[in-house]
Amino acid sequence: MRIGDAKQSYEADEAIWKSSTQKVWFAVLLLVLAVFPFMADAYLLYLGCMVGIAVISTTGLNILTGFTGLISLGQAGFMGVGGYTVAWLSANSALPFPVTLLLAGLLAAAVGILVGLPSLRVKGLYLAIATLAASVFLHFIFAEWESVTGGMGGLSLEPAHLFGLSFQNDFEMYFIIVPLAVLMVFGATNIFRTRTGRAFIAIRDRDISAEILGINLLRYKLMSFALSSFYAGVAGGLFAYFYRVVTPESFPLSMSIFYLAAVIVGGMGNLLGGILGAAFMTLIPEALKLLTAALTPFYPNAPIFMSPMLEIIFGVLIVGFLIFEPHGLAEIWHRIRRFFSLWPFKN
Amino acid sequence: MFKSILDKSRRLVGVGSMAAALAAAAPVMAQDKEPIVFGGSIPLSGVFAFAGVHLHAGLTDYTTWINSEGGINGHPVKYVMEDTGYEVDRSVAAFKKITGSNKVPVYYGDSTGFMKTIASELNSRGTTLMSGASFATALTDNEQYPYQFIPGPNYSQMFGIILEYIATQGKDGDMPTVAFVYSDTEFGKDPIENGKAKAAEMGIKVVEEIVTKPGSVDVSAEILKLRRVRPDFVVFHGYVLSPINEFMVQMRQMGLDTQFMGTFWSSDKLIINKMGADADGYMGVMPYNYYDSAESGPMLDALRATAEKSDPDAGYRPTGYMQGWFNAMVWTEVIKRTMDAGKELTAENMADSLASIENWDTGGIIGVPVTVQDMSFPVGRIWRVNAKEARYEPVSDWIHLD
Repeated sequence: MRIGDAKQSYEADEAIWKSSTQKVWFAVLLLVLAVFPFMADAYLLYLGCMVGIAVISTTGLNILTGFTGLISLGQAGFMGVGGYTVAWLSANSALPFPVTLLLAGLLAAAVGILVGLPSLRVKGLYLAIATLAASVFLHFIFAEWESVTGGMGGLSLEPAHLFGLSFQNDFEMYFIIVPLAVLMVFGATNIFRTRTGRAFIAIRDRDISAEILGINLLRYKLMSFALSSFYAGVAGGLFAYFYRVVTPESFPLSMSIFYLAAVIVGGMGNLLGGILGAAFMTLIPEALKLLTAALTPFYPNAPIFMSPMLEIIFGVLIVGFLIFEPHGLAEIWHRIRRFFSLWPFKN
Repeated sequence: MFKSILDKSRRLVGVGSMAAALAAAAPVMAQDKEPIVFGGSIPLSGVFAFAGVHLHAGLTDYTTWINSEGGINGHPVKYVMEDTGYEVDRSVAAFKKITGSNKVPVYYGDSTGFMKTIASELNSRGTTLMSGASFATALTDNEQYPYQFIPGPNYSQMFGIILEYIATQGKDGDMPTVAFVYSDTEFGKDPIENGKAKAAEMGIKVVEEIVTKPGSVDVSAEILKLRRVRPDFVVFHGYVLSPINEFMVQMRQMGLDTQFMGTFWSSDKLIINKMGADADGYMGVMPYNYYDSAESGPMLDALRATAEKSDPDAGYRPTGYMQGWFNAMVWTEVIKRTMDAGKELTAENMADSLASIENWDTGGIIGVPVTVQDMSFPVGRIWRVNAKEARYEPVSDWIHLD
C-alpha cells in the first residue's frame, strides 16, 4: 500500500507520472482504449470518436483559456478552418491524412495568431468579443467563398487514407482519433513542464508581473493562440474526416460555447479537467436520454415532455458545478484519488 | 343473487372471449411476423421543436393507424425515435443507436445538415431509405444521395410551383414582377439560383433580391428597396415567421399592393395566429391538404379520425403533422412494393420501389395522383390565408411540375 509520495529531486517533481501506480493505471487506460472498439457497438463507438475530437479541441482551448487566461469564443471558427482545409485538400490533392491534418492545424494556428493580435491590448470580456467577431468573420468566409468552401452547401470529403488504407467507418476512424487525442493531450502535458508552459501560467496569473520577470507577452500570448488554434484545427480536420462533410453550419457559435463550457465544467487550467469536461458535455445529454427511455414504456408521451426537461436538467447540472464545484470535475477526481491513495489509513 | 351475477358474467366473458379471439385472429397473426421499424431522429427540443412535436405526432399516429389496419403485409410497425435537439451530432448519435439495436429499413432525418452528414454512411450500409424534415434541393441529387428522398417538392420545385402560379396572374399580357427575400442560411439560399433560372425561362422579371438574417426584425432598409422596385409578388424563403410579418405590415402601410408568398415551413397557421387580420391574403405553396381544409379522401379522413382519437383536445394539426404522416405513408408504400416484388428490404430495392411510384392515389393527403421524379414529389398547390376564417384556402389547382 502506497501511503506517501516523497519527491527527492526537481526531476521527480516535474515527472509526468509521479509513481509506478500511475504508470500502471495509465497502461490500463491505454489497454481499455485499445480494446474498446472491439467491444463497443456502433453507437458507443460513435460517442467514443466524438469524445476524442472534443478532448482535442477542449485541450486546445484549455491551453489558451485555462492556462494563459485568454478567453476565446473563436474555437468553432478555428475548427472550421481545420475542417475546410482538410476538405479542400481531400478534393484537390492525394495527400494522406497525417499531412492534411498537420496542414489543417498549421493553417488554423496562423489564423489563430491573427485573431490573437488584439489580445495584446484587450483581455477578459473584450477579448471574448474580439474572438467572437473573428468567429463571425470566419463563418462569413466559409459561407461566401464559394470557389473554395462550396458556399452554404459545403464540401464532401473522401475517406481519410494512408498507405493505401482507407478509413471509412467509425471503427476505423477510432484508430485515428483516439491515438491522436492521447498524443495531443500528452503533448500538452509536456508543454507545461517547459518554460513556455510556465510562461503561459505566469501570464494568466498576472501579465504585468510576468512581463517584469522577462516574459515576452507578445510572443507567448500569440504562441498560446497558435497552439490552441492548432489543436482546434486538428480537431476540425478530424471532424471533417469523421462526418465526411463540412458546411458553415457544421461550426456554429454554439460549438465555441460548448467547448468553453467543457473547459469550465472540467476545471480550468487542468488538462485532466479538459478531458473530463469534454466527456461530460458529450455524454451527459446522451445519458439523460436513458431517463426518457426508462419512462416511455409506462408513459408513451414521455419523449415529448422529457426532451425539453433534459435540456433544463443539463443546464442545472452545469450551473450546479459552477456553484458547488468551481474547480470542476478535475477537483472531484482529485478528491477521489486522495481518498483512495490514503485508504484505509485516512482516519 | 351473487352466484347468478357471477354465472352471467362468466357466460358474457366466455362469449366475449370467443368474439375477441376471432376478431383478434388477424392481428395475432400479424404479431407473429417480425416488426418493421420506422426510425427517427426527431427534434422534440431545440429551435425546430415547434415543428418536431407535430412531426412526431404524425409519425406516432400513422403507426397506430397502420397497425390497426394489420401492419404492412402482416408485419406490425414499430416507431423508434430519439430527441435530437436539432443538433447534427445528436441526430447522428440517435441514428447509430437506433440502427445499432434495430433493423431499420426507413428513417426520418430532422435536418438537411444531418441528412447530408449521414449520407456517406447510408450509402455504405445500403440498408436504410431516408426522408425527413428537409426539402433541400441538394438531396434530390441521386448520385450523391441515392437513398434519400423528399416527401413533397424540393425547395426549387416549390419556387417552380409558385412561379407557375405567378405566371397566371399577369394583367394586360404583362408578366408580373417578383422579388425574392430569403434568409442568409443554407435553407434560405437553397432555391434561389434555380428560382431565378426558372423565372428567366418563364419571362418573369426578378426585380430585387434581399438577404436577411433569419428572424430579423428591423428590415426597414430592405423594405425601402422593395418600395423602389414595387414588385407584384414577394416570395419569402428560409423563414418560419419573422421577418415575413414585418415586410407585410410595413409594405402595406406604405400603400403597396404587392402580394406575399412563402414556402412550406412558412405556410402554417403560425402566421395567422401571430399576425391576425394582417395575415389576410398571404399565400403559401403546400403539397398536402391542410388538416382543416374542405377536402376529403379515405386517407385524409383516417388521418383526421386517428388524430382526433389520439388527442381529442388538440384541434387543428399543423403541416408538420401532415408531413410526418405522409412520410410514413410513403415508407409503407415503398416497403409494400418491395415485399410484393419478393425483394429484400435493402436501400437499393426500396429506392427502386420509390422510383416506380406513378399516379399514386394518396387518399386525399395530396389532392391528385402523384408520381415520383428524381426522388421527390414535384406537386403542390397555392393556398391563401382567409384571416376571417383563420385558415388557408386553395387559390390554384394542383400544379405538377414536369
